[in-house]
Amino acid sequence: MALSSEVYEALENIVGPDNITEEPATLDSYAYQWMAELVTNVTDGGKFFDRAEAVLMPGSAEDVQAIVKACNQHKLRFHVFSTGWGPWAASPAEGQILLDLRRMDKIIEIDEQNMFAVVEPYVVAAQLQAEAMKVGLNNHISGAGAGTSVLANACCFQGGGPDVIYFASPQDSILSIEWVTPEGDILQTGSLGSGLGWFCAEGPGPSTQGIIRGSLGGAGGWGVVTKIAIRLVHWPGPATLPIEGTVPSYQAALPEDQFKAAFPAFSDWQDFSDAIYRIYDSEIGYIAHRQFVMWGDELQAAFLNIVTDPTRQLCDLEELLEKPEIQKLTEEMQRNFQLIMVGMTPRDLEYQKKVLDQILKETGGWNISFVEKPDVQRYVLLFMLRLCFKNLNFTATGGFIDTYNSVATPDVWASGEIQAGKKLLKKYAGRIADAGDQAMGPIGGQGGGGVTGWEDFVFYDPFDPDSSKAAAEVSDEGDKLKAVQGRPPGGMLLGLARATHADQEARAQKLSKSPEYNWQRKIKETLDPNGVGSGNYFWGADTSKK
Amino acid sequence: MALEDLRATVTRCSRCSYCKWIPFAHVKSWRFAKGCPSIEYNKFQSYSASGRLCASLSLLEERSSYFDEGLVDIVFKCMLDGCCDVACKINRYDFEPVEVMRQMRFKMIDNGCYPPQDMPLIDHLKKEDNMMMAAKADRANWAEGLGVKDLTEEKAEVVFHVGCRFSFDEELWRVPRTVVDLLNKAGVDFGILGKDENCCGGRVCDMGYRGEFIKYAENNIDAWKNAGVKTVVTGCSDCYHAFKRLYPEEMEFNFEVVHITEYIERLINEGKLKFTKEVPMTITYHDPCHLGRRGEAHVPWKGEQKKVRGHVLVWEPRRPRYNGAQGVYETPRNVLKSIPGVKLVEMERNREYAWCCGAGAGVRERYPDFSEWTAGERIEEAKASGAEAIVSACPHCERNFMDAVAEKNESLKVFDILDLVREAI
Repeated sequence: MALSSEVYEALENIVGPDNITEEPATLDSYAYQWMAELVTNVTDGGKFFDRAEAVLMPGSAEDVQAIVKACNQHKLRFHVFSTGWGPWAASPAEGQILLDLRRMDKIIEIDEQNMFAVVEPYVVAAQLQAEAMKVGLNNHISGAGAGTSVLANACCFQGGGPDVIYFASPQDSILSIEWVTPEGDILQTGSLGSGLGWFCAEGPGPSTQGIIRGSLGGAGGWGVVTKIAIRLVHWPGPATLPIEGTVPSYQAALPEDQFKAAFPAFSDWQDFSDAIYRIYDSEIGYIAHRQFVMWGDELQAAFLNIVTDPTRQLCDLEELLEKPEIQKLTEEMQRNFQLIMVGMTPRDLEYQKKVLDQILKETGGWNISFVEKPDVQRYVLLFMLRLCFKNLNFTATGGFIDTYNSVATPDVWASGEIQAGKKLLKKYAGRIADAGDQAMGPIGGQGGGGVTGWEDFVFYDPFDPDSSKAAAEVSDEGDKLKAVQGRPPGGMLLGLARATHADQEARAQKLSKSPEYNWQRKIKETLDPNGVGSGNYFWGADTSKK
Repeated sequence: MALEDLRATVTRCSRCSYCKWIPFAHVKSWRFAKGCPSIEYNKFQSYSASGRLCASLSLLEERSSYFDEGLVDIVFKCMLDGCCDVACKINRYDFEPVEVMRQMRFKMIDNGCYPPQDMPLIDHLKKEDNMMMAAKADRANWAEGLGVKDLTEEKAEVVFHVGCRFSFDEELWRVPRTVVDLLNKAGVDFGILGKDENCCGGRVCDMGYRGEFIKYAENNIDAWKNAGVKTVVTGCSDCYHAFKRLYPEEMEFNFEVVHITEYIERLINEGKLKFTKEVPMTITYHDPCHLGRRGEAHVPWKGEQKKVRGHVLVWEPRRPRYNGAQGVYETPRNVLKSIPGVKLVEMERNREYAWCCGAGAGVRERYPDFSEWTAGERIEEAKASGAEAIVSACPHCERNFMDAVAEKNESLKVFDILDLVREAI
């Protein structure tokens, strides 16, 4: 179904002829998405989701407003994205248009004194961080990495990450918002709504933060957030990251008296859990994450050796795994996480290091000495502070998903769920990468700690139909395990996306465990009476036409 | 290698968009964070490396057609500068984005799909052995009065391959003439092929015309063999890339290839070249793509991809990795730093993640507006560095910058490294 000439012309008049296209290969470049082969294998869609009818690139909130009004007038559904990484960025069904927000890419303001920034949708975390650091500030970076939208991570989707323990969750850091509602009104929330500037989410002025953000955000189907103010935190380091090293093993040579990467490790999960509680209580740490286990507890030591040495390649993996020192390191790292300590002063860092030593003493833990090697120390600091290597998730096989995941208090690490996840992955070993425990996630999942969690990574080969099928099966089986525990489907909504493409009944069954998604859907139905905001996996009613 | 052989690669693209940016580790500002001129100018996803990979799969799966209106623009409106390749490979050890884009071009040309503006260029190339729209007979005019040995009649172990831009762009003739002067002073026995010098073929290869490239590569190798050449010296980064990387990929190649900056550094280190005059100037160095990240030497390899630990992808045996690490970056900087009075400041995007000049892969000729915009972006970056002059080691970059500076009425000066070397001697 192509757009009628009347509708096309109306849209073209808004954005101009250079900012709208129906060119087939271009539309396919938007339909192609990571994970598509898992979601659409129920419809044989391969790497491509449904092709949008057109892609538009608005340049301003006024453009967006005009497009949304035109969509309401013509009963045309739209789906919107910023940096566009993931299945939630593709058109979820036929007959829709896509809004690509990459022209809206400005940092409007960095308020140094009041510690916030105002950004448009296509500002990525690395850009904001680079500018914020110049004035002694820093911003949260989503676990998806430095190349993802600051605005989208805060307002429109999940967006937690390794630094949340110090920086707070992005949804808790949103200040005022400029939002084009599904009916085409421009709503300014919080203090902005009263003309008082961007500084406060809760007024004076309307506070619609819960509606706009909700549990997961609108994921492209819920009006269009065109600007946000986001809270920043202190950065005591240099104005520019001092990068050294040979591509791809870049490093940050930060002052040793203010920056320290540690790998606390433990001999059992109870000690691991206890240490996390103590970290919360003592309020140390700038970033706390179980990061490198993403490669699997059996491969992480070897992979770390590869990525920190620019002369190494993946073909060194098997040789490394045979080395006694790597085997020893693998054993040592089995239950470890990464803790980045940043001292506002050298004395502050000294204090944090002493506290960590005490915690390790009390819990029988140790700091893995491998991270003390200067090259590794500098690599890990860069990795965690900028999250510039996050696409290493794809290095091993070309594809990854998360599946059986958990968000809970630190006791969860000692609850047996890690072993359940590992067992699930081992069952499929050979069809997916055989790497062991891949439970990667935040040690502090909210500001100040209190919540932790993980995503069980699955590495699969998107080019291998059986491997892709296995990944989908792991996802489904992970959701079933979670359903038994009364928990909603997670895993980047993959299970829901798969169910949506399978049939409505399967989707409804998945959603029956998800009151928050159902509640968001009700709000959406109220505020989007014409249903022009695209259907989405957790609230939409669209099923692929295929 | 053909596009069909890269189906696995294009299926494994994660569409992460790293290819649109410089390596995130190196982002120093909002303004200069982007790495890909093509998508910055053309905006739609299909103008990024990732988008082109997706479009390739769309073509391979016959979801779209080589003959679709607009596809030519998507495929060819790109300098193949390779910043995307570097940024991608920081994480993807098995990926070759530029190779996919090259093969896509070859396939398009095979299907008769190319920008219409190519016609006069390719016709002229076939007739006059250059795409500068100049007469072949004028190729050696730059060398008039220099008394350089003619290797069509004599022999020498070193050939100075001048290249099309230096040969026909009169405003740049000072550079090859300086090269001749330097080589003479250093006592090097060298010659040129004069009016019989051929285009290196590198640019036409990047444009998608592989057949033309092979023809020129064979002609050049024959000419060098006949003249007893062992070492090829060039001042052009396009030519350097062609000789260092493309020729050995396609055919037996047993010549040493040296960029003139490498030769000068060698002369300095051997004490054969001494700078005696100050050149008081704050300059910034622009890394040509084809001398830097795309200038890595070809290393022969034959092997296959296999999987270990279930599905971990590895090359067996170890495959050479072209990720920009082995480009020529420090040599030109060393030469510049050794010139008394020169203060070298860096642009934010440098070395393997430098922003392109906008001239490569035929974009200057095919899409002049896009080319000029790209150069203009670099000029802005050079100005932001505080430099009075932008210096490079490639005539194509220099010509594009000179034109952009003139168009924008800027005061920034544009030099080749050889200009400063000449001043300092």
